Amino acid sequence: MATTPKFAVEDRFARVAILFSFVMLALGSLFGLVQALTRFPGLLHALGLDKVITPELYYTGLTLHGVANAILFTAFFIMGLAVFVVTRDMNINLHGPLLRLACMMAIGGTLVAAVPILLGQATVLYTFYPPLNANVLFYLGLAVVVVASWIFAAVVFHGIYRWKKANPDKEIPLGVWGVITTLVIWLYATPPLAYEVLFLLVPMSLAGMPVDVLEARLWFWYFGHPLVYFWLLPAVTLWYTLLPRVLGTEVFSKTMAKVAFVLYMIFSTPVGLHHQYVDPGVHPVFKYLHATLTYFVAVPSFLTAFNLIATLERAGRARGGKGLFGWVTALPWFKDPVFTGLALAIIIFGTGGFSGVINASFQINYVVHNTMWIPGHFHTTVGSGVALSFLTASLVLIPLLYGRQIVSMKTVKAAFVLWFVGIMLFSVGGYLSGLAGEPRRTYAPPYLNGVQVTAHLLDLMKSAASVAMSGALMFWLGGALFLGTLFFSVLFGKRVAFEGEVKISPEPGPASWFEKNLKLILIVGVVLILISYSLPAIEVYSQGLSPAPPQGPLK
Amino acid sequence: MTVHREEKIWAFFVLGLTVVFLAALAYAAWGLGLTTPYTVERIPAQKAAQELKPGVDCVNPNVKQIVNNVVVCQDGRYYVNVLAMRFTWLPNRIVLTDPKEVKFRITSTDVIHGFEIAGTNVNVMVFPGYIAEITWKVPSNMAPGNYLIICNEYCGAGHQNMYAILEIRK
Repeated sequence: MATTPKFAVEDRFARVAILFSFVMLALGSLFGLVQALTRFPGLLHALGLDKVITPELYYTGLTLHGVANAILFTAFFIMGLAVFVVTRDMNINLHGPLLRLACMMAIGGTLVAAVPILLGQATVLYTFYPPLNANVLFYLGLAVVVVASWIFAAVVFHGIYRWKKANPDKEIPLGVWGVITTLVIWLYATPPLAYEVLFLLVPMSLAGMPVDVLEARLWFWYFGHPLVYFWLLPAVTLWYTLLPRVLGTEVFSKTMAKVAFVLYMIFSTPVGLHHQYVDPGVHPVFKYLHATLTYFVAVPSFLTAFNLIATLERAGRARGGKGLFGWVTALPWFKDPVFTGLALAIIIFGTGGFSGVINASFQINYVVHNTMWIPGHFHTTVGSGVALSFLTASLVLIPLLYGRQIVSMKTVKAAFVLWFVGIMLFSVGGYLSGLAGEPRRTYAPPYLNGVQVTAHLLDLMKSAASVAMSGALMFWLGGALFLGTLFFSVLFGKRVAFEGEVKISPEPGPASWFEKNLKLILIVGVVLILISYSLPAIEVYSQGLSPAPPQGPLK
Repeated sequence: MTVHREEKIWAFFVLGLTVVFLAALAYAAWGLGLTTPYTVERIPAQKAAQELKPGVDCVNPNVKQIVNNVVVCQDGRYYVNVLAMRFTWLPNRIVLTDPKEVKFRITSTDVIHGFEIAGTNVNVMVFPGYIAEITWKVPSNMAPGNYLIICNEYCGAGHQNMYAILEIRK
């Protein structure tokens, strides 16, 4: 193996977690293809595929697509990456047996949840809104994954805590700040999910206990939006650390990077009601409070954009770029694939960030809620900003962790281009068809063919959907090419010997305000959560619940 | 700990922008009355079909007329009760003559649905156990014709078949 013997246990964990995450991505994306095919108006029927790709298969695949890509791929990759960053940047060992336990539980839970999904007994999509009912193994499997993630977080925090005790006057490396932020958001966000699953959904599934929809949605979205930042923060960490590193420069401002991490930490959780703007039963003032906090969580993204562009400008000028925009062309756009991947991911994420600000709007949300606009938005965030950054990072991680060379950088670059063009078509098509009212999460709807309705909207819906789905096919191909190259490299790539140490963060200085006040920052986060969620919770519980009995999704 | 001057300028600009956006949203919500759905009315899901009579009615009974079996309100102010059940809307054809303001009251008998009139800002989640009430101020330039009412929240295997027609007459 290529790794240093010192981190044998940690690296084995990272290898297993990262490989498993890619398997999940491949499995989930397989069904992305099914969705793209069903959304071309009339295509299924024309090809005679409507006997093969049935609504049941579509919705089962949609569940798998969401759970595997959005939760499992991200969570497993993040665990692997976090271990790599913390061990290398801090030069510490982590608690081996607990790490192994977390890994086994997470994979075991995943396999348990996979059985009912694949059998079609958990076709409740990844939001699993009750009273849609799934086989109890689905809920229990996911609960085990969450518990495993808590053990994992405890292991990492324990390591960081010991390092901090030994080095009280040293600055926490920037990459580790990213890891801390990610895990803090996760720990803030998951307890209500555990409550929903264990006390509402499991009794519903086992004993037919009725569930109040509003209560369940409140706690699901308490978790559901921070989950988004849980994906995003490791990608941001890569942008702040790996991107300057491959350019041979330092991040423009370490201080502002830390400010961004701290703001993400504080504002990521108390925003979930912005998924419930059009829900009855929650007072608009509370929704507006969450809108306000959502706008504040856009601030660190804007700061990050500035910081990254400034870093790029500095690298471009160091390469001899002159004038107002000369530094842009001086960057190694297609010379260094790691740069290409991260830069394209950042550009795509930028567009997704803007549509995110639109979604967060208290009123415009009416027009886009649950339409194709939303997949158009989040495929540019988690589907590119995050997934593309992770895949790019694996170009660095695979030689280091598996001791194998990437077999072909040409296919990697081709995959990047397909991904970039495809996702742009997909999102723009999604935005337009969403504005025309096309719903998301739906199998080839009959009204796209034949019903006499006001024509111009339907035409826009149809043509924009076709653009979106062509884009989906393109970036699916790009993803398949990329994953194929990675799997092939891990198995058959040329062995590379690796010597010396790898750090991804800039050299740490003396401890700053942020290290000394981490406790205060965490308390501010908790207080904001308490304020923003106790009000709607009091409202929901004091008006009395109105539970509805469970219903199976397919029959 | 260095913060560059450009970063300070940018940070204040971004904060200012955020405040302006939020002020605009607040003004639209409470100045112009464009706020989000709000109701605390509850209804047992199993009894929804009996208690919420689906159909069109007038806010002011004095201006109500029945023309060819269609309810017509002279002042353009309508009540519409809608029942969502897998996989259909009741009524599945709503006819409104020259509507100005429509109050929708919607509930579900089984799972979560989404009530959306494509191309308008009518879009509300429909829960079993709750009545969602929204008021639609119909744009004066709304062209007569058939509009799609879609279910936009996944509700089971027949979700894609769940739609209805809103007919606007002038």
